[in-house]
Amino acid sequence: MKLRLAILKTKNLIGASVAAMALVFAAGLFAQSVPKGQAAAPAGPTASDTPSGPLSHDLSGVWMQYPDGDVPGVPGMNAVSNRTRPPLTPWGQAKFDAAKPLVGPRAIPGVENNPELRCYPDGPPKLLNLPNPFEIVQIPGRVLMFFELGHTWREIWTDGRPLPKNPDPSYLGYSVGHWEGDTFVVDTIGFNDKLWDDSFGNPRSDQTHLIERYRRLNHDTLELQITIDDPKAYTKPWVSPPKLHKLEPGWEIAEWFCVMDEDNAYDNAVRKPAGVAPAHK
Amino acid sequence: MISRLGQVCFLALAAALAAAAVAQTNSAAEAAKKPSAPGALSHDLSGVWMPYPDTDVPPGTGKNAINQATRPPLTPWGQAQLDAARPLLGPRAIPGQENSPSLKCDPDGPPKLLNHPNPFEIVQIPGRVFMFFEEQHIWRTVWADGRPLPKDPDPTYLGYSVSHWDGDTWVVETAGFNDKQWADPYGNPRSEEMHLAERYRRLNHDTLEQQIIIDDPKSYTKPWVSPPKLYKLEPGWEIAEWFCIPDEDKSYDDTVRKPAGVAPASK
Repeated sequence: MKLRLAILKTKNLIGASVAAMALVFAAGLFAQSVPKGQAAAPAGPTASDTPSGPLSHDLSGVWMQYPDGDVPGVPGMNAVSNRTRPPLTPWGQAKFDAAKPLVGPRAIPGVENNPELRCYPDGPPKLLNLPNPFEIVQIPGRVLMFFELGHTWREIWTDGRPLPKNPDPSYLGYSVGHWEGDTFVVDTIGFNDKLWDDSFGNPRSDQTHLIERYRRLNHDTLELQITIDDPKAYTKPWVSPPKLHKLEPGWEIAEWFCVMDEDNAYDNAVRKPAGVAPAHK
Repeated sequence: MISRLGQVCFLALAAALAAAAVAQTNSAAEAAKKPSAPGALSHDLSGVWMPYPDTDVPPGTGKNAINQATRPPLTPWGQAQLDAARPLLGPRAIPGQENSPSLKCDPDGPPKLLNHPNPFEIVQIPGRVFMFFEEQHIWRTVWADGRPLPKDPDPTYLGYSVSHWDGDTWVVETAGFNDKQWADPYGNPRSEEMHLAERYRRLNHDTLEQQIIIDDPKSYTKPWVSPPKLYKLEPGWEIAEWFCIPDEDKSYDDTVRKPAGVAPASK
């Protein structure tokens, strides 16, 4: 559904590209019979993408995730894989039961309560789990990530500082990064519990410790593996399999803000007439 | 208008600035008197910058990067837009009737984004300059790779920005704005025809000068040229997370602003 929003809300080159890719994704979903984590040819990487020798520590560029079929009808949304989710704690189960997602098997048109339907800012890990591009920029002491969704940016400190001891809870959390061999490891804490972990209503508590592991397998391919350690919501760490992203050298991150009035207008003009999950305001 | 935490920070900051206004104004004036040798100003604008306070619109602090005293006459279209605007601040504010787009958490954009008493950070990389604003956690791209302004850009909140160096002045030109935001917090309009010019000079290590020129023939009868405004380098600061959340804003209205009788927001 966010993909539909992306198609109709961004009217420039990126929007067209996303739209075009969405069509490719949609067609590819039915043709796919490849193992999870790898997309069908020709959209996906091949065996020749297997890294050999030292990998680049330059992660700069606009990256777009490869499509997958983790959740039918929803392309490219399993950087946080629902198949590997551990059992919920009672607190986590209550939060999950209260969540009425816009997409997935638990979606009920008319009662959705996704935070983003009220234009809440998105944050990790859900921000990393959407079929939209992001850009990485590396500067001394910091890595910057720019997301098309919500025009959000985040900073990851790479100047050797430790995680803060008692950070104020925030939507994006506080992130530090370091290199372990050829893997860029990002640790984030200090989240609030106002957002979900993914588009399907899985909870995110203020106890979340998020770990992202990035490897540039080759010039065109970035691997991202997400681990959610949130003992308040899940009975053990949630380890998702690695997911691949493709370099898109010609793309620019477009302006896509969530605007309440426009979101309402979009619901009334497009989503409700189409009978597809009108947003609950 | 803004999140509760942000509002508290804002109020605290405003109080501090107001208390320091006289001395700060003096130090701003002092800062401006100490540029490096002409023709040798730094082209490195990196850092977190905070506007010096001023009293252009009492009791506002640090809000005259767009100067009300130099606003040219409005066109009939511009006048109609201003008449429909119900600002939260300034002499035209009427408590309970405000309709500032910011009250709905609509994204802010230039030039209003440059007119707040909040810090921003500049990061320069080859071909691009990023500006990070604490207000609404907004980032903006200014291209610096020689590309021209696009011929027919889609209207957006931030517009499309390109830049070049004119001697020691970094000149940012922006077009492609939508008309959903105001040009300033006082309801002055911004149309799709606006061409915004920003001129930056790093007068010395600690001081950044910014001048804003609004050329919007649909709203104003001639270009609106504001006098230069000064910013202070704040080396120890980090841009905080400050998002505008509609729910939290309403909650803040109900618990703080309405009971206090201060300009409850019209939702």
